[in-house]
Amino acid sequence: MREFHPLVKRWLDGELTADQLGAELAAELAEARALLSGVDHSPVTLGQDLDQRVMAAVRSRPATRWQRAWRWIGTAHELRVRVRPWVVAALAAAAMLVVLLAPARQVRAPAVVQAPESVYVKFVLFAPGAHQVSVAGTFNGWDAHATPLARADAPGVWAATLSLPAGQHLYAFVVDGRRWVADPTAPGVDDGFGRRNSILAVTPRGARVS
Amino acid sequence: MDRLGARAAASDGDVVRAVLAGDAERYAELVRRYRDRYARYAARMLGSPDAAEDAVQDAFIRAYDQLAQCRDPENFAGWFFLILRNRCFAERRRTKREAVADVSQDELPGPGRADRDAERSETQQLLARGVSELTAEQREVFVLKHVEGKSYDEIAKSTGATVASLKMRMHRAYDRLRAYLKERT
Repeated sequence: MREFHPLVKRWLDGELTADQLGAELAAELAEARALLSGVDHSPVTLGQDLDQRVMAAVRSRPATRWQRAWRWIGTAHELRVRVRPWVVAALAAAAMLVVLLAPARQVRAPAVVQAPESVYVKFVLFAPGAHQVSVAGTFNGWDAHATPLARADAPGVWAATLSLPAGQHLYAFVVDGRRWVADPTAPGVDDGFGRRNSILAVTPRGARVS
Repeated sequence: MDRLGARAAASDGDVVRAVLAGDAERYAELVRRYRDRYARYAARMLGSPDAAEDAVQDAFIRAYDQLAQCRDPENFAGWFFLILRNRCFAERRRTKREAVADVSQDELPGPGRADRDAERSETQQLLARGVSELTAEQREVFVLKHVEGKSYDEIAKSTGATVASLKMRMHRAYDRLRAYLKERT
């Protein structure tokens, strides 16, 4: 068997052009061209019913366990149950018995969470020489600037009205931003740093110093 | 996007997963998608469109039966090609055995063969017969490269063979075809 020259094979592979082959390979090149000219590129059309035949075979295949379960879940089923009337009566009686004998549970009313009630409290300090007065306490994080008092109608009197939740509050007045003064009208407790804080008790019925 | 649009845009992986989940009817989408893609390959490998149709049909049914073994559902086409390829090789071995005690299959006037040959040029008919004389491996690489227009790299990727071995098969095929054509012209 005469073999093609390696260069002609590379031409057949599409790796070389005809120009790259020498004149001595012209005859072999012609044979190679004839070979490729016989390649049939025409498309092949399969029968239109191929799809149906494949799907018919697919449908005839027994489904796997998972596929059967999947189909069963997704399909509507008609259930027919044949029972004797006395069985229905017995079942109904048994159900009633279960209801009657079941331990009674105490039904509790849902707990009602109420928001703590607020009470308006008026803070008053007589400080005739002060330029600025505020009140600081547990209700505002002991912020000396958060709750300023305003001058009241009477000379030297400072006052502010706050809405405070029910509970016990500690507080003190701050005069001119630096001097902490306990409420002289309220009982106080030592704050541990040599100063006293006043105590205010707020209830839904009102506020009182204690 | 409507339901039909969503179906049309479904990837191979989506369809494979739906079929595995029990929606067997959706397998028809894969059949429509790939039934013609490899028809010419099968026809050239087996020598006739009728044999190709049987092979493609069997390959689709076999692929359905083994769908759970498709490791990469997005590459269903590549996996299906391997099944079809095995089917073509098996068919070729079977016909070769049968032909041993008989004359060559290609010399027999099969059903519809005269009509098909009438549409082909004399050179095409001659080469087709020459290709049928090649080994299955040689024939496959010739078909994929010169009929389907694939590169060696693409053929290597789809068949798992190395480019070097593919070239070796192809170069032997060139020599055998040259000898076959020379004897008959």
